[in-house]
Amino acid sequence: MDDLIPYIPLSIRDSLSSLPFLSAELCLIMGFIIVIIADLFFSKRFPQLSFIIVFITLIVQIYLNAGFLKIDNTPLFGGMIILNHLSVLFKLLFSLTSILFVLFVRFNKAFQNHDKGFGDMFAILLAVHLGLNIMAMSVNLLMVYLSLEMVSLGSYLMVGYLSAGKRQTEAAMKYALFGAVCSAIMLYGISLLYGFTGTLFVNDPSFISGLKSIPPISSGLALLMVFIGIGFKLSLVPLHFWSPDVYEGAPTPVTAFLSTAPKIAGFAILINFLKIFYDQRSDGLSTSILDWSFILACLAILSMLLGNFVAIWQNNIKRMLAYSSIAHTGFMLMALFIFSAGGFKAIIFYMTIYVIMNMAAFIMIDEIEEKTGMQYIDELKGFGKQNSILMISLLIVLLSLTGLPPTVGFTAKFLVFSSALQAYNSSGATLLLIMIIIASISTVVSLFYYLKIPMNAFLRDSSNPVQFSIHSPKVYLGVFLAFLLLLLTIFPSLLEQII
Amino acid sequence: MIPVAHFMFISASLFCIGLYAVLTRRNTIQILIGIEFMINAAVLNFVAFGKYDKISGGGQMFALFAIVLAAAGVAVALAIILNVYRYFKSIDPTKTDTLKN
Repeated sequence: MDDLIPYIPLSIRDSLSSLPFLSAELCLIMGFIIVIIADLFFSKRFPQLSFIIVFITLIVQIYLNAGFLKIDNTPLFGGMIILNHLSVLFKLLFSLTSILFVLFVRFNKAFQNHDKGFGDMFAILLAVHLGLNIMAMSVNLLMVYLSLEMVSLGSYLMVGYLSAGKRQTEAAMKYALFGAVCSAIMLYGISLLYGFTGTLFVNDPSFISGLKSIPPISSGLALLMVFIGIGFKLSLVPLHFWSPDVYEGAPTPVTAFLSTAPKIAGFAILINFLKIFYDQRSDGLSTSILDWSFILACLAILSMLLGNFVAIWQNNIKRMLAYSSIAHTGFMLMALFIFSAGGFKAIIFYMTIYVIMNMAAFIMIDEIEEKTGMQYIDELKGFGKQNSILMISLLIVLLSLTGLPPTVGFTAKFLVFSSALQAYNSSGATLLLIMIIIASISTVVSLFYYLKIPMNAFLRDSSNPVQFSIHSPKVYLGVFLAFLLLLLTIFPSLLEQII
Repeated sequence: MIPVAHFMFISASLFCIGLYAVLTRRNTIQILIGIEFMINAAVLNFVAFGKYDKISGGGQMFALFAIVLAAAGVAVALAIILNVYRYFKSIDPTKTDTLKN
């Protein structure tokens, strides 16, 4: 025990000097406590109080984060988390998602009319957001596990929050069980990695040398087990079973959140994790322990194929978007093969556009479902003639999701494609070429299902046309996001300046 | 002194028993027990390996965090299962199957 004493003042000083860098997270914690107290004592008199507090917390948090945008690699808390330009970008992206989610929940009828109110939901959101922020920064296996669990537990609660009806509780149960199994497997993998290397720091040189010193079959198995936990969050193909069910059963705002934020955070962890396998000489991922580029290419191909081809057969709109989000994840994986600032830039650009598109699509679909009760694509027949502003905005969003040339979705896809091509040129692996070809084929396939909605809405006639007022906050929000997409189509540099 | 290989052997068998329970049981509570087995296998590993990592004590620390998180996870899962029981009058995951392609 005595030999530890000299370390104590050192580590306390280190922790204290690291605290100012986490001002955004401290702000989230403050907001979390205030929301709970406000919801407990003042929710009867001021029902909107929790919404206002969450909104202010998120705005302040963005402001605090933006201050660190120019930061270089800064290890904090004894190197357990690292703050750099990329992680700050990820954190800003989470903030964008959370703000859209808060507005979405605020104007959703199911949440407004629920007797629990949305106060607890906002408290859970802030806790999940804190977990997401830590996920983007963590380089220590303990922090990885801790933040992943924080996000998972919060998301199980979000899915089951309303507990309205059979489907929702079933979705929550499936999600919780599948997630718990995946995280238990990941935990066991982490314990093996710790035993093999003697360290929990992924970026420690002894981590990689320890992995190299034992037989590749055991280290590969342990790494794969850890990858299962990350792949669950990304809902890549062998681990995607939960996502269509959960996305269909969960309340629509929660679906919109789950299909964006945790996925992006999963990519952040994956990037931090793969960084150690980066090989300077071949300008790609090292193959000495586990052939990462082979595994990632296979997963990307499978996700794109399955996501796009199964989505064609879906009639439920939310389920279709769930499968398409699996395909988008596979597509985003392509940008990871070139492990440079250019590749990260492509992936961040794609994710930002993806967040805006996905949120906009879910907001508008939720509006339609709320007003008319329509959940299926073929019910939308003749819908576009009556509600043209809403449907034209939805058309813009869907075209952007497909990635047709004039839209900003195309710009994003183009960036990812070019970074994947660059990876192919430098490595010359046939598998990468196959992956790029499949990506372009599946982009064409995605036209079929995305355009089914506008085709039904504009070209087919309905026997009983429905019309509803477009003067609702969610329509405004959806139209605004579609407008934002158009704006970024014309001036993509607005976004590129930040990245 | 017990060699570390023995700990690894026990934890590996615990993990496999847990995984087997998860895959074969038809009762959600029993599946949760299986998950607990898997988590505790990892905790045992952490404590055994932590003996060789005295200065930073990473293993022991991780074990404590894992135990707390496992408890939190079970609390959430049990709450969800209670809700499922209210609607389905059963906690058999094969019977609660309304979401389909």
